[in-house]
Amino acid sequence: MARIQLNNIQKRWGAVWGVRDVNLDIADEEFVVFLGPSGCGKTTTMRMIAGLEDPTEGEIVMDGEVMNDIDARDRDVAMVFQGYALYPNMTIYENIRFPLRMRGVPKEQQDGLIRRAAGLVELEDYLDRKPGALSGGQRQRAALARAIVRQPHVFLMDEPLSNLDAKLRQHMRVQIKHIQRELKITTVYVTHDQIEAMTLADRIVIMDKGAIQQIGTPDEIYNDPANTFVANFIGAPPMNLISGTMEQGVFTAPGVRVDGLPAKHDGKITLGVRPEDCTVTADAGHLQGTVYGVEPTGDMTYLTLKAGDKLIEVKAHRDYRADLNSDATVGFDPKRIYLFDSNSGQRLR
Amino acid sequence: MASQRKRSRGESLALRYAILGAWALFCLVPVLWFLSIGLRPRTEIITPQPIYFPTFSLDAWHMIWEDWPMGKYLRNSVLAIIGSVIIDLVLAIPAAYSLSRFEYRGRDDIGFYILSTRMMAPAIVAVPIFFLFRNFGLLDTIWALMLIYAAINLSFVTWIIRSYMLDIPKELEDAAKTDGAGQMRILWEIIIPAILPGIITASVIAMIFAINEFLFTLLIASTPDAYTMSVALANFTGGSDGVIYNAIALVAFLAFLPVFLVVVLIQKHLSRGLTMGAVKG
Repeated sequence: MARIQLNNIQKRWGAVWGVRDVNLDIADEEFVVFLGPSGCGKTTTMRMIAGLEDPTEGEIVMDGEVMNDIDARDRDVAMVFQGYALYPNMTIYENIRFPLRMRGVPKEQQDGLIRRAAGLVELEDYLDRKPGALSGGQRQRAALARAIVRQPHVFLMDEPLSNLDAKLRQHMRVQIKHIQRELKITTVYVTHDQIEAMTLADRIVIMDKGAIQQIGTPDEIYNDPANTFVANFIGAPPMNLISGTMEQGVFTAPGVRVDGLPAKHDGKITLGVRPEDCTVTADAGHLQGTVYGVEPTGDMTYLTLKAGDKLIEVKAHRDYRADLNSDATVGFDPKRIYLFDSNSGQRLR
Repeated sequence: MASQRKRSRGESLALRYAILGAWALFCLVPVLWFLSIGLRPRTEIITPQPIYFPTFSLDAWHMIWEDWPMGKYLRNSVLAIIGSVIIDLVLAIPAAYSLSRFEYRGRDDIGFYILSTRMMAPAIVAVPIFFLFRNFGLLDTIWALMLIYAAINLSFVTWIIRSYMLDIPKELEDAAKTDGAGQMRILWEIIIPAILPGIITASVIAMIFAINEFLFTLLIASTPDAYTMSVALANFTGGSDGVIYNAIALVAFLAFLPVFLVVVLIQKHLSRGLTMGAVKG
């Protein structure tokens, strides 16, 4: 359907930077998720793709054609908004019909397309209702139907599930992924929810302060983070980042000693290890600390240890229990230890 | 305990009704008083002793319809007011859309300038307006009244509509743009239906101002061809007959009635409109 290329895209408002040097090549039929905290530039980047915002510099190319000077209405992109943006004065049928009317689809074809789109999102029984008479999930599905009804070149979705409750969000996630695979439409999806990003994306683009931090598949982002921002942003609880010193392959920090690491990175180092790659052990481990908190969740126990003045999260066995302030030893999976430059935050390999 | 609570709830309800009833009476008394004056003979209006049960009389009613071209005045009022509100809406909606949605240099200054025209005392422009209309040959016409009412009300109609437009989420317009709609289509199909309560509110207020307008109407209208209800009231004062209070009261009541009926009919939209612009939802 469409390949999207962002070449050196920048967005500034006076002295304020929205987006810096974004370079990205989105393949045809790919599902790309922009992930990052509020204000990281992900929505601005998407709005530039939609044509709702002009880039200060750089090129937006779709299927080889530069789009910078082309109006939003002529770009053949369909967008789903965080607040649904359904037209309140129109019925759901009229809402879904609106893009067809605007693009001059012949009247006799419209009804079939509307019912097909409504069928895809299971909304056939609500077509004669106004948006105000629908629940949040139904409105979101109506917005989705309006986006898919005319089979656009590109889908853009701006945090479409953030107003829904957890259960509905999970259901809608499955639905969105299914529809995208079925219609084979290039999709750009913006979220700050890492679970949405990990489950939906072919590739994730992690952004912070207007710049791309890493582009990769969900596995790459999780297993091979490029810097401390990505390492800390992905995972729940996030990766433990311990500042310390490395000398001849031995990392030390208060309560922590890890040896057998590459000897080439001496000096101030940040060691990263995920809570799920830590194991409570009775033997000599890598970290000695005192128990700060124990939180059983049923399928596992979150253990928080204090080592020096640093709190370390560990995902322990579901039966694990310990008294507060008792001593505990934790071993790290040596294959899952990450090293970062303490100053730049960049990964050391 | 329960019965005590029940009783106190009943008492509080009665108190609420009493307060609301008293307020309603306070608002209605002048109207009913006017109606009662309008429907009694002239001899029972100014008396040394109050008359609690006046004689019902249609003297004033017959007088205003038979001796005076009241039908014509009423028609003039209705045409001038409706015309002026239409002119206001045709000009104010695009102006408000521009002021609320587009970024350009001097936008806020232009907005304030539009509002500032309302801050001027009308008498200041009375003479220039008279000469302007005379030069255009519009004196003593309903067209002139339409234009002058529209000009007087345009600033606040624009500002009321603008404030409603500011409350419409920008996402709606963005959605319409990506759906393929142009600016005019967005205004017509998305914005106007969404701010309908605001348009109704602004129109009703403009109607009330227009029906009460006196100064410019007196200046422009010099014969019954362009007299409106407000100027007609002045006909019943002075002259050889003195002040005809019952006719004044009846005409005032008739002038009040159309606006009252419009407000009752669109009450739902109006109350929603008056609050919607004020509070961000």
